Amino acid sequence: MSAARHSMSETVLEASGVTMIFGGLTALNDVSLSLDEGRIVGLIGPNGAGKTTLFNCLTGLYTPTRGAVRLRGKELPHDPAKVTTAGIARTFQNIRLFPNMTVQENVLVGRHIRMRQGPIASLFHGPVFRRGEKAARQKSAELLEFVGLSGLDDEVARNLPYGDQRRLEIARALATEPDVLLLDEPTAGMNPQETEAARQLIFRIRDTGVSVVVIEHDTKFIFGLCDSVSVLVQGAVLVEGSPETVRDDPRVIEAYLGKPREEVEASITEAAAAGGVVDHRDAGTGEVDA
Amino acid sequence: MTKLTGFLPPALARPFAALGGVLFLIGAMLPWATFLLNDGPYPDKATLQFFDAPLELTGYRWNLLLFGVFALIATFAPTPAKARVLRAFGWGGLVISAITAIFIVGKGGGLGAITSADGNVAFGSIVGIIGGIVLILGAGAMPLDDVPHWSTKVFGLDGWAGRLAAWAVLLVAFAAMLYLVSLTLTAGGIGGAAFPYAGPIFLAFLGFAGGLLGALHGLGITGWIARLSELHRAFSIVVLLLCALALPFTDAGSQYWMQVAATIGVYAATAIGLNIVVGLAGLLDLGYVAFLGIGAFVAANLSGAVASTVGWNLPFPLAALISAAVAGIFGAIVGSPTLRVRGDYLAIVTLAFGEIFYRTAQNDIGNLTGGASAIPGIPPISMFGTAFNESVTLLGTELPIGVLYYFLIVLVVAAVMAVFANLKNSRIGRAWIAIREDEDAARAMGIATGRAKILAFLVGATLAGLAGAIFVHKLGTASYDSFKFLESVTLLAAVILGGMGTIPGAVLGASLLFVLPEKLREFEDYRLLVFGLALIFIMRFRPQGLVPDRVRRAEFAGETAEGKSIEEIQEQAVLEQEAELEREHEAPATAKETGR
Repeated sequence: MSAARHSMSETVLEASGVTMIFGGLTALNDVSLSLDEGRIVGLIGPNGAGKTTLFNCLTGLYTPTRGAVRLRGKELPHDPAKVTTAGIARTFQNIRLFPNMTVQENVLVGRHIRMRQGPIASLFHGPVFRRGEKAARQKSAELLEFVGLSGLDDEVARNLPYGDQRRLEIARALATEPDVLLLDEPTAGMNPQETEAARQLIFRIRDTGVSVVVIEHDTKFIFGLCDSVSVLVQGAVLVEGSPETVRDDPRVIEAYLGKPREEVEASITEAAAAGGVVDHRDAGTGEVDA
Repeated sequence: MTKLTGFLPPALARPFAALGGVLFLIGAMLPWATFLLNDGPYPDKATLQFFDAPLELTGYRWNLLLFGVFALIATFAPTPAKARVLRAFGWGGLVISAITAIFIVGKGGGLGAITSADGNVAFGSIVGIIGGIVLILGAGAMPLDDVPHWSTKVFGLDGWAGRLAAWAVLLVAFAAMLYLVSLTLTAGGIGGAAFPYAGPIFLAFLGFAGGLLGALHGLGITGWIARLSELHRAFSIVVLLLCALALPFTDAGSQYWMQVAATIGVYAATAIGLNIVVGLAGLLDLGYVAFLGIGAFVAANLSGAVASTVGWNLPFPLAALISAAVAGIFGAIVGSPTLRVRGDYLAIVTLAFGEIFYRTAQNDIGNLTGGASAIPGIPPISMFGTAFNESVTLLGTELPIGVLYYFLIVLVVAAVMAVFANLKNSRIGRAWIAIREDEDAARAMGIATGRAKILAFLVGATLAGLAGAIFVHKLGTASYDSFKFLESVTLLAAVILGGMGTIPGAVLGASLLFVLPEKLREFEDYRLLVFGLALIFIMRFRPQGLVPDRVRRAEFAGETAEGKSIEEIQEQAVLEQEAELEREHEAPATAKETGR
């Protein structure tokens, strides 16, 4: 099944040479990532490796110091709203729902860019407005059913249990009709059953034609889910390849378990040396919340 | 209040509650003041002797007597949520007695005024206060039952019969509301030197109304009415509008009260506009009254007033539209530089804008505002051949001067409410709320936050400009002094006090904040102090506002106002959720209909 998919695949998302420097800190150093249509790519690495920073670069929240992100060959602007409109949706590591809105309203906010009602239509609630609103609610109900939250439409988001909040965040992201879905630690804090449910959900999302990038610490989860895995260490891609290749790579084990130490340090100094060459200009990202 | 719960053993709950009710009855019958007050006898027969003339009980005495009877009935009759009902009566009676006592002490010269002096005894207020405390203690010892949930199927009727029954209930409820509004407005009469008792009588009446509403809430009736009106939305809107238009036909239909009501309407419309900016989009605006001012000055210049520089004489509807549009444009202009600042910084920028407007108007920059001499002589609105400052005869009733302004402002407030409600339940409104909740996440959802914020400022300012146009015609003068910082703060307080993001909240908040100063006139220098204290107390005990948003209600669920611990709140939330789910299973169709 996956072989057939690979044969017809086309690169959807491509990050090339993305470098992100905060003041004197090189958070990402020449990172490249490529995602083929209908595939799931995993991004693993120790804390502080730069995984979320890469997500922020991909979604336009950060402006990379160097490098470019392309969606279907078109370079993406550095504006989260425009990136989302172009077809990249994301979830956040620390859940960022709209806590005081209902479940349905959260998903409807996700529909925002796919709805066309302007201020005048919103003012008068004419027939066209009502039709659009009805369609959006319909879509929202479908998405909530898809992620397994149907019937909770009128619940206030903050009152949902943790796992449901994660699923709602995914439903909200899917409401933007993305080509690519970026999931930042979707199973953090979940028990094994919930993790398995999340894995099945991601498979189902992939089956609808959405390509997925997943950040996760749980390597078992990642190896059982992804078509390919990139290991990020100290802001650089250490290894990239199929789950099997990555799993068996001694460098990955080193990076996670920290031995033998010298080699990791060598790779660190290597990365630092590479980072040292670059121009340490302020990246102009004063407003970001790192 | 938390400490009052469980302070007494449960066995004493009922005796205490009964004693409280009896003390209310006794207090109502006893004399309340030992001597004539400086400004003449305190109204409602403060010096009434025991059983002297029990049938002449009026005002606060009558209210206290009613509470006593109600409390006794609630104590011994099977009452749902008994503790809540009794507590409401207790607080109501306590407030009535305490406010009256404080006033008599202040005016009568010391504690002798409410105890004994010169051989006269007057323990009425003290008995009332003790009764209130005893009643609250008794209620605190009772188990705090949940507010009963009444079915929206009125009397179990279905179909057309059920609908008619619901309409009948709503009609009665709204008529009662109209009556209460009329009573509240006129309670204590017109404030000022001519009638020094307006303030305490009004405040005591607020205590009565509050206690009554609290008891009705405890019985689950207010929630029931709210759900019914949600279900029969169109009917409720029509009836409410009719009720508002019927106010001039009640006791409040005097020239003075119509003028006060019209002023309240202007501020209510402005507060709803501000509610879009603050309540929905979450943008703190401290200079909002400037937009009211811009609308006012534009309208003044287009009114044909001799003193205005432009001096065009446009028909009012056109002038009002232009005023609204100009204010809206300024709103967008002010909104633009504020896109880069958030939170506190935004507040400072808007504060500065408000001050710039005020100083510009004060110094008559551009000769458009008349400066310190203002723009006097603005003619009244004149439409359909009738000047709005004349009295009219309608349905055989001679209505007082100013009633036409009242009708106009009622219609404008209704229109502004419609704008608010429609925008709130739309793609735009959701984008605003999303920005308020989490701006970064909103951007990640593809919302052009900058454009949405400017739109919020624009819409809010437009509504304020429209209100300003009416305001200036009603007043006849456009003076910079009407648009100072304090007005912005009061508007903001109205929004927060009433409940952020809700329409009834903004209207109620505006009404309270602009009626109270009218009523408290005789307190002169103290009125702002009283006012501030009242605000502090309301915010302490009801931080979600008087009429909270469905969601903010959840946020503050049961907290502080109910005096519960966090665990209790969570427990109750779980129970409520379960009950809610059950109800949804029972009637999934109705649940979907009510869901906004």
